[in-house]
Amino acid sequence: MKKRSRIEEFRRTLVKAWNYKWIYIMLLPVMLYFIVFRYAPMYGITIAFKDYNIFKGVFGSPWVGLDVFKKIFSNKNFWSAIKNTFVLNLTALAVSFPLTIIVSLMLNEIAGVKFKKVTQSILYLPHFISWVVVAGIATNLFTMQEGSINAVLQRMGFQPIPFLSSEGWWIFTYVICNVWKEIGWGTIIYLAALAGVDETLYEAAYLDGATKFQRLCYITVPGIKSVIVTMLILNISKMMSIGLDAPLLLGNSKVMGVSEVISTYTYRIGIVKAQYSQSTAIGLFQSVVNIIILVAADRFAKAIGEEGII
Amino acid sequence: MAKKISGKKKKLTVGLIVIYVLITLLAFACLYPFLNVLACSLSGYNPVLTGKVTFYPIEFTMEAYKQVLGRSTIWVAMRTTILVTLLGTALSLVLTIFAAYGLSIQDLPGRSLMTGLILFTMYFGGGMIPTFLVVKGVGLYNTLGALFIPQSISVFNFIVMRTFFRELPDSLQDAARIDGASYMQVLIRIILPLSMAVIATIGLFYAVGYWNSYFEALIYIQDGDKYTLQLRLRSMLFGSEFGSELGASVDDAGAAVVLPQSLKMATIVVSTLPILVVYPWLQKYFVKGVMLGSVKG
Repeated sequence: MKKRSRIEEFRRTLVKAWNYKWIYIMLLPVMLYFIVFRYAPMYGITIAFKDYNIFKGVFGSPWVGLDVFKKIFSNKNFWSAIKNTFVLNLTALAVSFPLTIIVSLMLNEIAGVKFKKVTQSILYLPHFISWVVVAGIATNLFTMQEGSINAVLQRMGFQPIPFLSSEGWWIFTYVICNVWKEIGWGTIIYLAALAGVDETLYEAAYLDGATKFQRLCYITVPGIKSVIVTMLILNISKMMSIGLDAPLLLGNSKVMGVSEVISTYTYRIGIVKAQYSQSTAIGLFQSVVNIIILVAADRFAKAIGEEGII
Repeated sequence: MAKKISGKKKKLTVGLIVIYVLITLLAFACLYPFLNVLACSLSGYNPVLTGKVTFYPIEFTMEAYKQVLGRSTIWVAMRTTILVTLLGTALSLVLTIFAAYGLSIQDLPGRSLMTGLILFTMYFGGGMIPTFLVVKGVGLYNTLGALFIPQSISVFNFIVMRTFFRELPDSLQDAARIDGASYMQVLIRIILPLSMAVIATIGLFYAVGYWNSYFEALIYIQDGDKYTLQLRLRSMLFGSEFGSELGASVDDAGAAVVLPQSLKMATIVVSTLPILVVYPWLQKYFVKGVMLGSVKG
């Protein structure tokens, strides 16, 4: 009896699936794409445990256990790349996170519709500019000899500042470029949250004689608190990943000590030096750490009563 | 001294004036680098050399543009980039629409498995080298296909579009189905016309992404004649491509001397112009698109 109903159920599913055949035909190229370009590379991760030989390929190369990992873990450049990734991510976050919220709060106060629209459009613009162009512009502005900023400084009687060639200043330049590119774009999510704060709360507080600052502290900020916390957790969960473009394009041989991050290191070991196994092992290590941080951040978010991020 | 408090209108207080000033300064800071680039590309030799150019051209000249646009490499790169952007955006849109439409049908057998397979790739991937080996393995290495096929679907854009499709009223689709329309007809006649805003947003996101991407070209392209604009731009900005050029232009009888810096800035303007042209159109839609994406699930 039970078995028959299960067969019946299976038959009905098949009929339903047959009715959806055109949908499956549409989904075929999509799934093919994910299998070939997203899942097949996951199988390729096995070369992190192999001594990859270009002639033997992914399947034929001999297994070497954890030898590759021993090799990368004993390399001090690897640990330096991890440290640099954290330093750049944390510095950029420490500057851009509060700044984005402050700019959002300021934009929210602006009543002039036209002024708001124009300034927002301008603030969002840099997000759409490629890193190659941003790095080109930054080099034009910040270089030691011909840079416009140093030209102004020198005319004012100051010493030129090595924005791109001293390690400390390079971090400063990196953060400035990131803030410039993404600050406006980052405000979108906060502005949406601010638009959702109940207007009657402000009116009630106003009638009760609350000052502007009090209204900010007791209505506005609590109203967007959960967005702030979620964004912070989301950002912290990405601490191990860093875009390759900015450090690769802004970096130079003089500041390798701070500009070589995990992504650029993976690129240099893998593509430039063709050490496929080592590069893959570094990528796998990064992915695993990423997932651990992500799950931990998600648990933490749920523990403090916020929405999860996964 | 008593001031009339008019309903909802905000009073112009000192604090508000400070906010207006700060936002204006910030907007100027966002715009200044562009103006500086434009000014440098249009200024004469001496003002650029001495760093006198700020945000308006001094000793106006179009010479830098004449020389940049006279180079065949930039036209070849421009053509490649336009081709990749058009083909890539078309492929990406078609695949994303198929995925979002198919997987927005609630009782499709296998829907949750397929959705799960797609979402999982947001959190875990093969990484740079295994992907590189696959792209090489399927014969895309050093072809233009490598610049768009391996990254044709963005999971984020898929989520945005699926959320949008799900919010469309079911009754329209059901009515069409009862009248005997096929799923393909429902998609083309009903869903797509209702979704032009989200399709425009996502299409433009894809297009800007392809236009700006340079890493794929960096690792997958070998031949100089297949360089994309960003890759060409990089070798012009940071390589020696313009350094040696300076001497050559001096030798040219009649050709004015242009600083490599001006040439670089002119190249930046030329390669960014298309983005600046579509931007006002694009920005009408994207805020909505971004908000849709934040509603996950």
